Amino acid sequence: MIEVKNVTKKYGNFTAVDNLNFTVQEGEIVGLLGPNGAGKSTTMNMMTGYIEPTNGSISINGYDILKKTKKAKKQIGYMPENVPLYSELTVKEFVSYMAELKLVKRAKRKEEVQTILKETGLEEVQNKLTRNLSRGYKQRVSMAGALVGNPDVLILDEPTVGLDPKQIIEIRNLIKKLGKKHTVIISSHILSEISQICERVIILNQGKIVAIDTPENLEEKTKEKNVLLVTVEDKEDKMPNIKDKIKDIQELDMVKDNEDGTKQYKIISDPQKDVRKSLFEILPKEGITIFELKKAEITLEDAFIKLVDKTENKTDSKAENKTKSKKEKKEKNKKAEKGGKE
Amino acid sequence: MWAIIKKEFKSYFLSPIGYVVVGILLLVSSIFFYLTSVQTGSVDLSSLYYYVALYGLIIAAPILTMRMFAEERKNGTEQLILTAPISITKVVLGKLVAALGVIVITLLISFGYYAIVCFFAKTSIIPVLTSMVGFILISIAAISVGMFASSITENQIIAAIITIAFLLMSIFLENINTVFANLCIINFYEKFPSGVVSLTEIAGLVSFSIVFIGLTMLVMQRRKVSRS
Repeated sequence: MIEVKNVTKKYGNFTAVDNLNFTVQEGEIVGLLGPNGAGKSTTMNMMTGYIEPTNGSISINGYDILKKTKKAKKQIGYMPENVPLYSELTVKEFVSYMAELKLVKRAKRKEEVQTILKETGLEEVQNKLTRNLSRGYKQRVSMAGALVGNPDVLILDEPTVGLDPKQIIEIRNLIKKLGKKHTVIISSHILSEISQICERVIILNQGKIVAIDTPENLEEKTKEKNVLLVTVEDKEDKMPNIKDKIKDIQELDMVKDNEDGTKQYKIISDPQKDVRKSLFEILPKEGITIFELKKAEITLEDAFIKLVDKTENKTDSKAENKTKSKKEKKEKNKKAEKGGKE
Repeated sequence: MWAIIKKEFKSYFLSPIGYVVVGILLLVSSIFFYLTSVQTGSVDLSSLYYYVALYGLIIAAPILTMRMFAEERKNGTEQLILTAPISITKVVLGKLVAALGVIVITLLISFGYYAIVCFFAKTSIIPVLTSMVGFILISIAAISVGMFASSITENQIIAAIITIAFLLMSIFLENINTVFANLCIINFYEKFPSGVVSLTEIAGLVSFSIVFIGLTMLVMQRRKVSRS
């Protein structure tokens, strides 16, 4: 279990991470999500004890990372963002060095290294120098380094960046498999990835938590409107008038004019009201044939952008308010000075 | 700590650095062996070790130490060791011991000079042994300086230049004022070569090393707060 309490990280006047609070339960896979520069890596670096928070505490399985450093670090397998590897070592040498650093007992080391190499699909390249590996393999070596020593908690910083689609699927499956035995935290700015693997998502923006929830709930929460996509054959071009016939439709726009004589429309309605039934009833009466009707899903992507935009607007308006109040103060002061002179 | 020592030592010889350092030290040794023993027909090896400590270490120490922390910082591999359950003290000492290992190899090879001298005349091995003990101590001091230089930058070249500058400057600084004499580590390597183990010299070298090892650890500790 990981507990992050009131964690803040400041660099001079710049606040990289601002008062984070969250807990990750045992065996949970949690995604840390946010645009670049949101403070994901900083948060992870603090969790692993690589940097110290300015304020707050982090405990891993009950061990405080600053006070019981050694015990806390022993619980963690960390895969840093830029996959740093020792280029002069072979894959096997690297993994066994990591095993030694993680205090794996000598008698068990060889066996453990072999199992990890097998698990991460590195057996064939185990005698190659890490510098000669392709990006995908390097990533796996880094992952193997995190896995060795069987730590309870895995912290993976953007594990799938720079991989091809096939490799992404492989790594994803590996993480899913690992999630059964370990507590996993992954950071990413790719949403589809997070929504497929993670049970819970923490969205960060500008160093603050914007939302913590399951991917499904986040999608649901940010859904403001019901969007339908309907493809019709409409010879008499009656579709634009439909809006008058079904009152619940708020907006109706043509999206595509297909070459086969069909047209696709986007219909937006109130989220509480479902216009599908009335569409099926009324359109045929108007001589319009429905070819396809589907709900346009709001993806996590939309949710994410919405949440991030919201916070940005908030801080912008705050900043504006600040400058406003400053101006007002200045004016007041000026007035006061004038008054004094008079 | 054993893990760090083993890996670092291996890395020296997986890259050319280990061979270069051993080579340079042996080259300098051979030159001074020729100048101080062969040319003069002397069986006294004391000045040989003195000159190697003076000229050899100024070149060898920076090469040996420049990548220690600078490279790890640049490549990000420091993230791996600093998030592992191992203390900064052990990391620093482990790296120091590994670097010293390369010097010890050179010293072992340098027994060859003693063997050559022995072939011509019988001489005592004691001054050679004290020279070596002293050489190890002065090497630790030089490595500590280099290590500190490497910990404050991520550029290996700069680390090397700082080390060379420090070691060179310290020799000349005492001419300006004798206050600086204690900064010059070669001053603590005058009695060892003549077969005398001097406590003052040991204390001088050890305390010098402790200061720079301590500073290195301090830098590493502080960077935990300052780095992004």
